[in-house]
Amino acid sequence: MRPLKFPLTDFFKVSSKIEVPHPRAIDRKRLEYIRLYAPVKVDVPNARLIERDALRYLFKDHPKPRRNDRELVKRDLPEPSVLEKNVLSPETPGSINFPPFKITPELEKKANQRIAQYPADQSRSAVLPLLHEVQHHFGFISPESIDWVADKLNIAPIKVVEVVTFYPGFRQKAPGKLHFRVCRTLSCAMGGSYELMARLCEITGIDRSGADGQKDPISVSPCGNYSVEYAECLASCGTAPVCLVNDDFHEGLTPDKAKDLIAQYNG
Amino acid sequence: MSDIKYLPGKEPHENEHRLIFKNVDRQGWDTSIDTYLEDGGYEMLKKGLGMDPKAVTEDVKASGLRGRGGAGFPTGIKWGFIPPNNTKPVYLICNCDESEPGTFKDRYIVHQDPHQLIEGMVISAYAVSAHTAYIYIREEFPEAAITLEKAIAEAREKGFLGQNIQDSGFDLEIYVHRGAAAYICGEETGLIESLEGKRPYPRIKPPYFPAAMGLYMAPTIVNNVESLCHVVHILRMGGQEYVKLGTPRNSGTRILCVSGDVKKPGYFEVEVGKVTFRELLYDMCGGPKDGRKFKAVIPGGSSSKILRCNESFKIGRGDDAKDLSFWDLPLDFDTLAAAGSMAGSGGVIVMDDSRRMSWVLNNITHFYAHESCGQCTPCREGSTWMKKVSDRIENGQAVPEDVKTLEEIAYQIDGKTVCAFGEASAWPVEAMIDKFREELVGETSDTNDFKTDERIAQEEFLSKVQ
Ligand SMILES: Cc1cc2nc3c(=O)[nH]c(=O)nc-3n(C[C@H](O)[C@H](O)[C@H](O)COP(=O)(O)O)c2cc1C
Ligand code: SF4
Ligand code: FES
Repeated sequence: MRPLKFPLTDFFKVSSKIEVPHPRAIDRKRLEYIRLYAPVKVDVPNARLIERDALRYLFKDHPKPRRNDRELVKRDLPEPSVLEKNVLSPETPGSINFPPFKITPELEKKANQRIAQYPADQSRSAVLPLLHEVQHHFGFISPESIDWVADKLNIAPIKVVEVVTFYPGFRQKAPGKLHFRVCRTLSCAMGGSYELMARLCEITGIDRSGADGQKDPISVSPCGNYSVEYAECLASCGTAPVCLVNDDFHEGLTPDKAKDLIAQYNG
Repeated sequence: MSDIKYLPGKEPHENEHRLIFKNVDRQGWDTSIDTYLEDGGYEMLKKGLGMDPKAVTEDVKASGLRGRGGAGFPTGIKWGFIPPNNTKPVYLICNCDESEPGTFKDRYIVHQDPHQLIEGMVISAYAVSAHTAYIYIREEFPEAAITLEKAIAEAREKGFLGQNIQDSGFDLEIYVHRGAAAYICGEETGLIESLEGKRPYPRIKPPYFPAAMGLYMAPTIVNNVESLCHVVHILRMGGQEYVKLGTPRNSGTRILCVSGDVKKPGYFEVEVGKVTFRELLYDMCGGPKDGRKFKAVIPGGSSSKILRCNESFKIGRGDDAKDLSFWDLPLDFDTLAAAGSMAGSGGVIVMDDSRRMSWVLNNITHFYAHESCGQCTPCREGSTWMKKVSDRIENGQAVPEDVKTLEEIAYQIDGKTVCAFGEASAWPVEAMIDKFREELVGETSDTNDFKTDERIAQEEFLSKVQ
């Protein structure tokens, strides 16, 4: 457990004032709720992470959610709507690797360059390029960045959300510092990509049991340094199995090379 | 061309005829424009811009070039579909969304020889009078997107792109547009929707033929990377000369990508129809792995129908009909179509006798279930059902009727969908069951009583109702 950077006592005050739900039931929305009521202003970088740690700490002797917690959650907080569920980015241990979304002059410049590639009345075409810019700099597509893209192109935010949720290439949660995309399609599977994935998970301590190919493909290691995901054919079947690590392409990765692959980046 | 040296271990096989892949794995080759110019690059661009645009199209028609993206449609004829009285801007799109499992040819062109593609695109754009062109590149080629953008900047600097190219009065801008890891963006109308910044829901044809109503509802020509590169060579050789390569109706060269259970997988550029499976798999790929036998081959990307290695086929009609064993089939568009499969994108996936067909089937159905865009019901639901049934078969939880169920689902997708993805997902399943029924049924058992979650919920519901 990471040492906490601000006095926990303040948090105890919070929890005595309002009942804090069990961490399992906590998502972003609820964290915001707690923050709203918090008597202290948590003004440190990565405040959200620290809050999470604080909550973990508070509930460390408290393995199962109590009934009241759930009821409290139900009573006081509206269920997130479909839109909220699709737009919100859940925290992951990888969140620590990326700066929060911020509009910088550099980003604006790049965005304008991209928009100029399309006819003036068709700027919606730049949705994908702008999202790529965002993802490249901030690791994933956050609700704030969706608003920014929509503003920039003068379209309704839903038109950006539909794109983000459709394409597997856009992430809605932070990956690790090293993001592995292992090809799982036929030729690579024959070459052993499933074993490669198993080896990668074993080495990095990633638990893939919760991963769902469609809705939630990315699994992040507890340390936040690594994340894995299955990709479909990466168009290099002749050198199977293959894998993308961030933007680098690696081929001929038989499962026994998993260790070297990771070492290559950590060396 | 004999003075070209290739990297050690990467030399082309003697059966190969390299046009497009001339510079792939070449010694001392890099992606800069200087290297390309030294090798005589961009000469054809100058020649093309000196010709009448119609003459270029005629040349391509005469060459008999068939699209290399999957459908095999004649490129010159496609270019001719632009309405003659058109007043809107025309767009040219290069389809570099190479995502058909088993295909890996465009990757090498865009990574190692971007200027060849640019040259081909300028000539093609000139032929169809397009002044804006896009390269739609898949997201998983981040390096290639950078390489291409650099190459475009270099070409513009040297006056091969931009305003008044080489004093011909022709303007062209090429932009790179990155996709986002969706297979369906390879389908031309899906690609256009994606380029418009929407979800890549393919459009229904008719009426949305890209040549008439494409990008921004303007006439649009979508061509594969390899097809566009061929245009350079057609201009160099002349259509009449090019057509002599390959076999009648299947002219030119094409790149075959072999992967799976062979000793030496890789890419081979051969004259279309001049190489049979025997030559390809035994001579060029070194045969099966030690102690193994070939079992089945998918000849044109995972969407094409699988062929058994011990089959034989009746090819041709009437008096010309002849019986050919699998090994003697030449890999051209027409023969493979006659054999009940297709040449598709040239991705040959080979399986040996260590592979369980139920496992292969399961891997393929997972791919299609993941990639269906979800616009039409037969495809969206069907691909997921096929995945679930094949999951059961693979896990040994199926009953014999499940194989029949699977077949029925596949035949209900085929032909009833907006885009050809429906066929692409149903054909492999149909063929797999057709050719390996015994093996699949052999993995099922009458005594299985596996119930899916849906089934349990359904039974529970029904018991309450009664
Ligand atoms: C489901 C589906 C996926 C496709 N994927 C690709 C692809 O990845 N690359 C490609 O060049 N063509 C692909 N195509 C074919 C294109 O729709 C189109 O026919 C092709 O780009 C035309 O180019 P060509 O005439 O040069 O072959 C696909 C078609 C379908 C139905
Ligand atoms: S056939 Fe499948 S991929 Fe094509 S439009 Fe319909 S749902 Fe989408
Ligand atoms: S199957 Fe893995 S790259 Fe094609």
